[in-house]
Amino acid sequence: MTTKGVRGSAVALVRGLALAGLGLAGVVSLALHLAFLVPGFGLGLIFLLPLPILAGRPLTNLVRRLTGAWSGLPVATPYRPRPPAPVPDADGRYPHVNRLYRRPWFPAFMTQLDWLLGDPASYRDLGWMIVNPLLGVPLAGLPAALVGAGGWYAVSQAGRHWWAVPVGVAAALAGLAVAPALVALHARWTRLLLRPPSPGPVGRVRRWYARQLLLLVRLLALLGLSLLALPLAMVSVVGLLAYGLGLVVVLPPLIENFRWLPELRRTLAGRWSGIDVPSPYLSRDEVPHRRPDGRYQVGSALYRTERWAAYNLRLRRLTRDRATWRDFLWLLVDPIVGGLSLGATLAAIGYGLFGLLVPGLSVLAGVRSDGGTDWYGAVAGSTVAAIPVGLALAVLGLVAAPVVLRGNGRWTALLLAPTARAQLALRVQRLTETRSDATDTQAAELRRIERDLHDGAQARLVAMGINLGNIEHLLDRDPQAARALLAQAREASAKALTELRDLVRGIHPPVLAERGLVDAVRALALDIPLRTEVTVALAGRPEAPVESAAYFAVSELLTNAVKHARATRATVALSYAGGRLRIVVTDDGRGGAEPARGSGLRGLERRLGTFDGVVEMSSPPGGPTTVILEVPCALFSPRTSIS
Amino acid sequence: MRVVLAEDLYLLRDGLSRMLTAHGFDVVAAVETGPELLEALLGMRPDVAVVDVRLPPTQTDEGLQAALAARREVPGMPVLVLSQHVEQLYARELLADGTGGVGYLLKDRVFNAEQFIDAVRRVAGGGMAMDPDVIAKLLARSSRDAPMTRLTPREREVLELMAEGRSNSAIGQRLFLSESAVGKHTASIFGKLDLTQSDDDNRRVLAVLAYLNGM
Repeated sequence: MTTKGVRGSAVALVRGLALAGLGLAGVVSLALHLAFLVPGFGLGLIFLLPLPILAGRPLTNLVRRLTGAWSGLPVATPYRPRPPAPVPDADGRYPHVNRLYRRPWFPAFMTQLDWLLGDPASYRDLGWMIVNPLLGVPLAGLPAALVGAGGWYAVSQAGRHWWAVPVGVAAALAGLAVAPALVALHARWTRLLLRPPSPGPVGRVRRWYARQLLLLVRLLALLGLSLLALPLAMVSVVGLLAYGLGLVVVLPPLIENFRWLPELRRTLAGRWSGIDVPSPYLSRDEVPHRRPDGRYQVGSALYRTERWAAYNLRLRRLTRDRATWRDFLWLLVDPIVGGLSLGATLAAIGYGLFGLLVPGLSVLAGVRSDGGTDWYGAVAGSTVAAIPVGLALAVLGLVAAPVVLRGNGRWTALLLAPTARAQLALRVQRLTETRSDATDTQAAELRRIERDLHDGAQARLVAMGINLGNIEHLLDRDPQAARALLAQAREASAKALTELRDLVRGIHPPVLAERGLVDAVRALALDIPLRTEVTVALAGRPEAPVESAAYFAVSELLTNAVKHARATRATVALSYAGGRLRIVVTDDGRGGAEPARGSGLRGLERRLGTFDGVVEMSSPPGGPTTVILEVPCALFSPRTSIS
Repeated sequence: MRVVLAEDLYLLRDGLSRMLTAHGFDVVAAVETGPELLEALLGMRPDVAVVDVRLPPTQTDEGLQAALAARREVPGMPVLVLSQHVEQLYARELLADGTGGVGYLLKDRVFNAEQFIDAVRRVAGGGMAMDPDVIAKLLARSSRDAPMTRLTPREREVLELMAEGRSNSAIGQRLFLSESAVGKHTASIFGKLDLTQSDDDNRRVLAVLAYLNGM
C-alpha cells in the first residue's frame, strides 16, 4: 500500500466517522420531528409544524454538501424556493388565498406551512432520518469501528492470547482498506435518499398510497382541530360568564383571538373538502360619532373619550355579528360531531389494521402472545376470526375517509358559512367597495381626459385661431408669409386630430364601438408588436361596460407582455360558460409577474371587480405567464352581420 | 366621373361634395345612412363611391358593411372608405377579395385636396389607396415575418409605397429612382411573393394582401 493510499484510507475513515455521526444526529432530529409533528398533526397545534422541518434542513443539507464534496457525487438541493413575505395591498391589509388580513403573521405563517408541507423534499428528509440509521450509519461507521475495535482488541488482549495482536491489526487494516469503498457506497446510498426525484411518471400504486396517506393525515389534523375547539369553547364560556359579571373588557379580544380556528377550518374546508366557506365576519368599525358637546355616542350611550367609544363600537360589532355566536356554537358542538365522525373513521382504520389484524397475523405466523389478555384482537373468542373483521373495518374506514372528509367540509359550512343575512351584509360591503373603486377610476379617467383636452387639442385649436387671425391680417400685405402660416395652421389641425384620435382610442376604442369585443381584441392583436393568436368561442356580445372592461384588461395584459415580460408570442382565448365570460391570456415571456406588486394588475382587478369579475394569475419565474379573467355577465345575440 | 358620397355629418358631406364637384366629379348621390348607400350603390352603379365607415342607423360600421355588400354584388366596384381612424382589421376586409378598386384613408387626408382627389381617381381606375398609417403599422409588425424577410430594404420601401397605391412613376419620384428601376423592384417583389398573374393592378393588390397575410 502506498503512502498516498494509506492517507486516502485514513481520510475516508475520518469522513466515514463524520458521516455516521451526522446520521446519528439525524436520529436526534427525528426525535425532534416526532416531538413537534405528532402533537402538531394529532392535536391540531399547527403552529408547531414548521419548527422541526426548518431546523432539520441544515443537517440534511450538510450531508448533501459533504457527500458532493467528498465523493464527487453531487446531490442537488431539492427544496422549493422560500415564498416571499406577504406584501400589504394599498389599504395596508395582507391578502392570502382570497381573504385579507390585518396583520401579516397569519398569511406569512400559512404560506410558510404550505411551502414546507407541500414540498416533497420535507418528506425526503424525514425518510432519510428514519431509514439512514439502519443502513447508512453502519455503512459509514464500519471502517472506524473496525479500526477502533481492532486496536482495542490488540491492546487489551495482547498479554493473554498470542493471536490478539495480529487479529487486531488485521481488523484495523481491513477497516482502513474498506474505508474508501464504503464511503463511496454511503454516498450512493445518501444520494438515493436525498436527491430530488427525477422527473417522470410516478407509479399508480405509489400515487394511490400517497393519496390515502394524505387523506389520513388530513383527517387526523381535522380531528386534532376539533378537539382543540374544546378548550377554546371552555374559555369562551368563562369569558361569557365574566362578561355577565361585568368584566366587559375581556370579550372583544377573546372573540377576535379565537377566530383563527374557525377561519382555519373555513380555509381547510375549501382546500381539503372542496367546499368553499367564505368568511362571514363584518369587517369594519365605523368611526365613533362625535357630538357637538364633545362626547362620543355609541347607540344610546355617551362616552367621554374616543378610545372607549371605539372600544364599545367594536364590542357592538362583535356581539351583533351573528357569525360570533355561530362560531361559539360551533366551538361547542364540533368536538362532538367532528370528533365522533373523524375519530370513528380513524379508529376503524387504526383498530382494524393493528388491533385486529396484527394479533391474528401473529397467531397465523406461529407467534404466541403470552400476555393472556385478549381485550383486542379476538372476535367471538377467535383471534383468527378477527382477521376478516379487522380487514373489513380497515377497508370500511378507508372507503369512508373521503366521504367523511367531504362531510366534515359540509358540517363546517353548516355553521361557519355566512347566513343569508351575513351574505347580504358582505355583499353590500363588497358593492360599496367596488362602487367607490369604480367612481374613483371614473373620476380619475375624466380628469385625465379633461387634462389631455385642455393641454392638447384645445390649445392647438386656440393657436390655430390666432394663426388664422394673423393670416387674415397678412393676406394682402404679405401673401408669402400668409401662405407659410396657413401651412402651419393645417399642420396644427392635423396634430389636433391625431391627439383627439388617440384620446378617443383611450376612452373607447373605435373598433370596440363598431364591432364589439371580439373584433376589438383581434384588432388589438394586429396592432401589438407580438405574434398574437386570438381564439373565440362566444355566441354573442356581453353588455357594453363589460366589453369595455374586458377589452382594456386584455390590452393591459398584452402591453405588459410586450413591455415587461419580453414575450415573443401570446394567445388570447375568449369563451363563455356558466354565465361567465372567460378570457385566458398567455405569453411566453420570462414570467415572475407578482399580482400583489404590479399596480397595473391591481388596477385590472379593481376594474373587473366592479362587475364581480376575478383575475387569476400564474406566472412562475421563467414563464409562461397565464392570466385568467372571469366576469359574470349575460350574452346578447349578435346583430346579424357579415363575416 | 360619377360619384356616390356617403357621410352622415352635414358639414363634411357638403364640403366633400363641393371638393369633388370642383375637381370635375359628378356627385350623383350624397346619402347619410347605410341602407341608402347600399341602394344608391346598387341602383346607380357609380364610377366610384366615397364612404364613411360609421353611418346611421347603428352608428357602427354600417358604411363599411354596405360597401362590402355592394362589392360582393358587383365585384370590383370602386370604393374609397374614409374613417376617423384606421384599423388593419378593416383594411384586410376591404382587400380580402383580391380585386382592385379599394381605398381606405383617414379623414385627415381630405385636408390635402390634390392628394385626396388623386386617391379617388386611382380607386376609380381600379387601383388602390391605402393610408400610410395602415402601412406603417404593417411595416412595424411584419418586419420579422417569413415572406417579408425575403425582401430587401429597398424592395420593402417600394412595396410600402405600392401599398399606398402609388404608380411606378410616383414611387420613383419619392425614392429618387428611375421608373424602370422601380419596375425591376416591383417585378422582383412579385417574384419573391410568388405572384405570377398578368394584370399588373391586381398583382399590386395581391402583393399587399400577401403583405397583410404574411404574419
